[in-house]
Amino acid sequence: MLSSEKIKLKNGRSWQIYSAGKGAELVWLHGLSGVHAVDPAIEALAQNYRVVAPLAPGFNDRAELDQIVDIHDLVLDYDDLLEELQLDRLPLVGHSFGAMLAAELAAHYPRRPSKLVLISPLGLWNDAYPVADIFAQPYLQVENFLWHDTSARDRLAAQQSEGQNQAERIIAIAQGLTAVTKFIWPIPDKGLRRRLPRIKAPTMIVLGAEDQFVPPAYAHDFAAGIAGIQSLVVPGAGHMLPYEKPEEVMSAVRRFLSAK
Amino acid sequence: MKFHWFHLMPYPHLPNDFRQKYHSVWVDVPSRLFDPAKGHVAYNDYLDELEYAETAGFDGVCVNEHHQNAYGLMPSPNLMAAALTRRTSRVKLVLMGNSVALYDPPTRVAEEMAMLDVMSGGRLVAGFPVGTPMDTVFTYGRSPATLREKYWEGVDLITRAWSDPEVFAFNGKYTQLRYVNIWPRPIQKPRPPVWIPGGGTVETWEGCVKRNFLYAHLSYFGYVAAQKVMDGWWETVARHGVEPNPYQAGFLQFVAVADNEAEAERLYAEPALYFYQRCLNVFPGFSDPPGYGTIATLRAGIESQVARAARQQSLGELTWGELLKRRYIVAGSPQSVVQQLNEMADKLRVGHLMVLCHYGNMSKETTFYNTSRFANEVIPHLRSRFSEWEDKWWPTDTLEHIAKPAPLPANV
Repeated sequence: MLSSEKIKLKNGRSWQIYSAGKGAELVWLHGLSGVHAVDPAIEALAQNYRVVAPLAPGFNDRAELDQIVDIHDLVLDYDDLLEELQLDRLPLVGHSFGAMLAAELAAHYPRRPSKLVLISPLGLWNDAYPVADIFAQPYLQVENFLWHDTSARDRLAAQQSEGQNQAERIIAIAQGLTAVTKFIWPIPDKGLRRRLPRIKAPTMIVLGAEDQFVPPAYAHDFAAGIAGIQSLVVPGAGHMLPYEKPEEVMSAVRRFLSAK
Repeated sequence: MKFHWFHLMPYPHLPNDFRQKYHSVWVDVPSRLFDPAKGHVAYNDYLDELEYAETAGFDGVCVNEHHQNAYGLMPSPNLMAAALTRRTSRVKLVLMGNSVALYDPPTRVAEEMAMLDVMSGGRLVAGFPVGTPMDTVFTYGRSPATLREKYWEGVDLITRAWSDPEVFAFNGKYTQLRYVNIWPRPIQKPRPPVWIPGGGTVETWEGCVKRNFLYAHLSYFGYVAAQKVMDGWWETVARHGVEPNPYQAGFLQFVAVADNEAEAERLYAEPALYFYQRCLNVFPGFSDPPGYGTIATLRAGIESQVARAARQQSLGELTWGELLKRRYIVAGSPQSVVQQLNEMADKLRVGHLMVLCHYGNMSKETTFYNTSRFANEVIPHLRSRFSEWEDKWWPTDTLEHIAKPAPLPANV
C-alpha cells in the first residue's frame, strides 16, 4: 500500500503526493490511469527505493490546469515541486504520458535527473508508424486497447477497491485523458524530437512488443536523439507493461538504475 | 412565431450499403465517394431550394458549418450565404454559423459576417456554434480541453469588434491583437443578433443568458426528445431572473407535409431513411472525446454506456413508422403537422422554428412541394403563436431598399 499526502507549495499549488519504500529517492511520473493506493509498478520499485509519485495536475481537479497552457508550463510546474521538495538530482522514471513528461523535464533541465527511464513513452511522432489516436477509442474499448494482457488487468482490478467497477476504471482513464489533452492533442510531439539531444542523463527506454498505442519502433526514434540510450522491448506486453509484467519490467529498471 | 428554412446540404449519392461498409460519415469518410460533378449539381439545386424558401414566405434561411462530413457540404456556410445575397432580397440570412475557436484570429469571422450583413442590406443573423467534436477536435485538431474557453473569448472579441467604434487592443489568452478595427462595419447596430446553436451543454446556456443571445437547440431527434434540453435552458433563464421570452429560443425540426400519412410515407420515407441510416452513421469514438464536455457529463455518458453495453438502438434499424412515432419527423396532413407543432410550441416554448423540408437524397421537386405546403398550409395556423412577446433577436435595421443585381450590358 502506498501512502499519500496533500501538500501546498509556496506558489499556492496543491499537490497530491504518493510515496512508498525506503532508500534513495526516485520520482515516478505516472501514466494515464494516475496513481492508486495499490500500485504494483511503484511497489516493485519500492523494494529498493523511496518512490515519490506526484499526481499530475488535472487528474483530480481540472481547474489545476487553468494556468498551465502548454508542455513548457507543465515542466515548470514540476520543477517548482521538485525544487520545494529538495529532490535535486535523482532518477526520473515515467510511464506513457509520464515518460513524455520525464523526457521533457530532462531536456529542459538536463542536470536534474541522475538517470532517466522511459516506459512506453509518448512524445514523438513518426509518419511510418503513427501513435494511435487514443482519443477516438470508444470508451468501452479503451481498456482492451491499452492492455495486452487483460488477465493482469483483472487481477489488479480485484486488488484495487476502486478498480472493481468497469465504469469507474474507464472514467479514471477518461479523466486522465482529459488532463493530458492539452499536451498531446492532436499529435504528441510538441517539440521533444528537437529537444532530445539536450538530455544528458543515462537513459533507458522500455516498450511493449504488443503496444497498440505507442508502437515499439519508437525505440529507434528516441535512440536517434539520446546518445547511448539502452532499449528493452518486452514480448507479450502492451502499453500497460509496467502493470502487465511489473516484476520483469521493474527488475530490469532496478538493474539499470543500480549500474555504475 | 417565425419560421426558417434550414439546409444541411447532404451529399445525396452515398451507396445503399454505406452504413454496413463504411466506418463513419464524418471525419474519415472516404473521399472517393465524392463525385465533384455531382456535387456541382447538388450545390446548384440546394441554392435554388434556399432561394425558393423566400418566395414561399419563410422568414429566414439557415446554413451551417461542418467539416469532413458527407451530410453537410458546407465547410464554409459564409460562401453559401454570400451566394444567397444575390437572388434573395427579403428573407433573413440565418448563418448557423461559424465555429469561432477554429479561426485565428477570430476577427476573420467578424469581417466575413460584416461583409454579409452589408452585402445583404442588414439581413444577417450571426450564429456561433462551439462546433461538434467531429468538426473541431478531430477535423480541425483543436484541443478539447481549451476549445470552449477559446470559443467564448473569440465570441466576445467578435461582438466587441462589431460594436466598439474605436480602434482597440485585445490582450486575450488565445488571441492578441494590437489593432482591432474591422472594415466593413455591419449595417445592424450595435451588431447583428447572435444565435448560439447547441446540443444541451450547461456552459452554453449560461454563456447565452449572460450575453442576451438566443439559444437554438439543433437536434435531429425531434421535439419530444428535446424536452430535457429545452427545460434545462428555461431553468437557466429563470435562475438568472431573465424573462422567459420564447423568441430567445430556437429549435430545429424535420417536417413532411402531404395530403395524408400514406402520401407522406410515399414521398418522404426514402429520403428520411437515407438521412437517419446513412448520414448519421458517425463512428462513436468521434462523438464524445475526453475533455469536450465536463467530467460530470463524461461520467454520465460512460456509466450509461457500460450499463447498456451498447451506445443506442442502431439507427440502421429505424423504420419510417418509428421516425413518426418518436416525432423525429413531424409528418402527415397539414392539420396533423399543425397539431404536432402546436404541441411542440406548448412544450418547448420556442419562438423561432427552423424546419428541415429537405433531408437525405430528397429530390428538388419533392423539396419544393414540402416547402410550399408547409408555407401555405402550416405557417398561417401557427403564425400568431407567442405574438404577445417582442422578438428582440431578429434583424431590425434591414435597409428599405436592397440593391439588386442589374442586367448586364450585352456587349460593351
